[in-house]
Amino acid sequence: MRHNEMVYVTPLPVRIWHWLNAFGIVTLCVTGLQIRFPDYVNVFGAYKAAIRLHNTAGTVVSISYTLWIGYYLVVARSLIKLYVPTLEDLKTGIFRQAYFYFLTYFLGKPNPHHSTPDSKFNPMQKAAYLVIMLILLPLVIVSGILLMYVAPLRELFLLLGGIKMLVGSHFLLACCFTAFLFVHIYLATLGHTPLAHFKPMWNGWEEEVIEDDTGDGAGDAHSDPKPERKDMV
Amino acid sequence: MRMLKKVFWFFVAIVVIATHSGVSYAEMPSAPNDGCMKCHGQPDIAAVARNKSSYIDPVKYSGTTHSIIGCTACHDRVSPGHPRDGYLPPKAVCGDCHGPVNEEYSKSVHGAKARCNDCHNPHEVRLPIFMSGDEINGKCAKCHDSRKTIQSHSKWLPQAELHIDSLLCISCHTSSKEYVISLSIESRTPGSGTAFKMATFAELAVLSNGANISKIIDQNGDNQISLAELRAFNHHLRSRNMRLWGMMTPEVVTHNYQIMVNRWDCSFCHASGSKAMQKSFIVLPGKNGDYTRIPVEKGAILDILYGTPDFYMMGSTRSTALNIIGALIVAAGLSFPVCHGFFRFLTRKNRKEDHHEA
Repeated sequence: MRHNEMVYVTPLPVRIWHWLNAFGIVTLCVTGLQIRFPDYVNVFGAYKAAIRLHNTAGTVVSISYTLWIGYYLVVARSLIKLYVPTLEDLKTGIFRQAYFYFLTYFLGKPNPHHSTPDSKFNPMQKAAYLVIMLILLPLVIVSGILLMYVAPLRELFLLLGGIKMLVGSHFLLACCFTAFLFVHIYLATLGHTPLAHFKPMWNGWEEEVIEDDTGDGAGDAHSDPKPERKDMV
Repeated sequence: MRMLKKVFWFFVAIVVIATHSGVSYAEMPSAPNDGCMKCHGQPDIAAVARNKSSYIDPVKYSGTTHSIIGCTACHDRVSPGHPRDGYLPPKAVCGDCHGPVNEEYSKSVHGAKARCNDCHNPHEVRLPIFMSGDEINGKCAKCHDSRKTIQSHSKWLPQAELHIDSLLCISCHTSSKEYVISLSIESRTPGSGTAFKMATFAELAVLSNGANISKIIDQNGDNQISLAELRAFNHHLRSRNMRLWGMMTPEVVTHNYQIMVNRWDCSFCHASGSKAMQKSFIVLPGKNGDYTRIPVEKGAILDILYGTPDFYMMGSTRSTALNIIGALIVAAGLSFPVCHGFFRFLTRKNRKEDHHEA
């Protein structure tokens, strides 16, 4: 037997941040494409328009990131709990999740991870988001800010190996984000319905399918009755 | 007759330049100007004659085209009693020889603002290819204050200071064409924190240990800088408090000063494509204040890191190797949904039977 349960996993500030960030990053990718390949890509008309939009979107994403990390570090104080994989995650969790994505998913087995307010992300998500949010995004933001002020920051450019080093790093990081976008959007469709993971990012509530029969190991952790609403912070 | 004589000397000068391309003017044989330079080459003549322009720097003059055609080509009819008779020899008008340029310049928006002599001292003038970018822009800066220029351009031009540092004013304000990248060596005193300035001949001579200064970069002396030589040179520059500074420079210079409408469009330069950025030169200062340039292997500007680490033009100098790496990263990201989605489609019945999508 199964029953569905609504769990409040994504609070409003996180949702606002997510969509602001998503819109900003897509804008950055498209404008960035025109900036690097202006002889082939012309989405925004004038080259200067693409640059100004890129700079504006970059500034929005930078501010948004600062608010995000401030929220998780200072207000929610759950950054480490949510985003840093535990030893158990590294030893077995990541492999169990990968095993699911690459094999048992195709056999119709259930996802070994179920979102709860205390464990919103599966071990693979944790590892990916940790790299994306705490390493790649800060790097792309810093390199982007430096590239907006080349002449005043020339000394810093020399220390970092020259403008080409910065431009090259910024470009490759942007490519990583573009690659991540494809994977991220696709994986979001792997819920119990294709839109199951999109809805909580819109209204905050995730519909969880709970196994009432405790005979299945995967369902053990979720066999206990849950409150109808769990606020996630 | 006088006109014919000047035209004759003008063509002589052109022939001499053509047969000595790539060689500094300073190395060309000078015309017999010794009689004049005996007095006018002495710094104290300015005080004696009470006229600053009486002194002609012999080193700078020897590097000009005008020194080849000789003093009397422009100052003919010098009186036998010169200088005691007080009669000043006549001066030629630039337009006598440079007619087309004069006509073009007169029609430009700049024509009524400055005379030829305001920008070009006829006793020091050199062709742009024998000048550094800073030196050419310096002529504009005599009237156009750099700070105000940056401020006025900032109203519409992103990173105006960077653009003004990396471009010749005439690149946008004349219809000059055939752009190349001129790379000059800049230096500064270690630990001074001051701005970089074009390295002098003396500074580079120290690096070359007395040998021809081109040897500091053109190691095999073939008058061509290979990418390997450029990389090696750049590698050593950092430790010497020097840098290679690139400027986009037109090969064909015109005098039709105006606001070029198409230069408002950034894509004029930034979408010019990598093919337009293949040609570059290293500009080296000469002993006589002139500059020589050595061609650099094609594609150096597009090298990922060590070709020209401090020169990058968005859109135009992108590295193909980096593009390929970037495309592979994006393709790897795209391949996951494509491959996983394919197997997901094939095995969709398994999940339907289980009434569970994931």
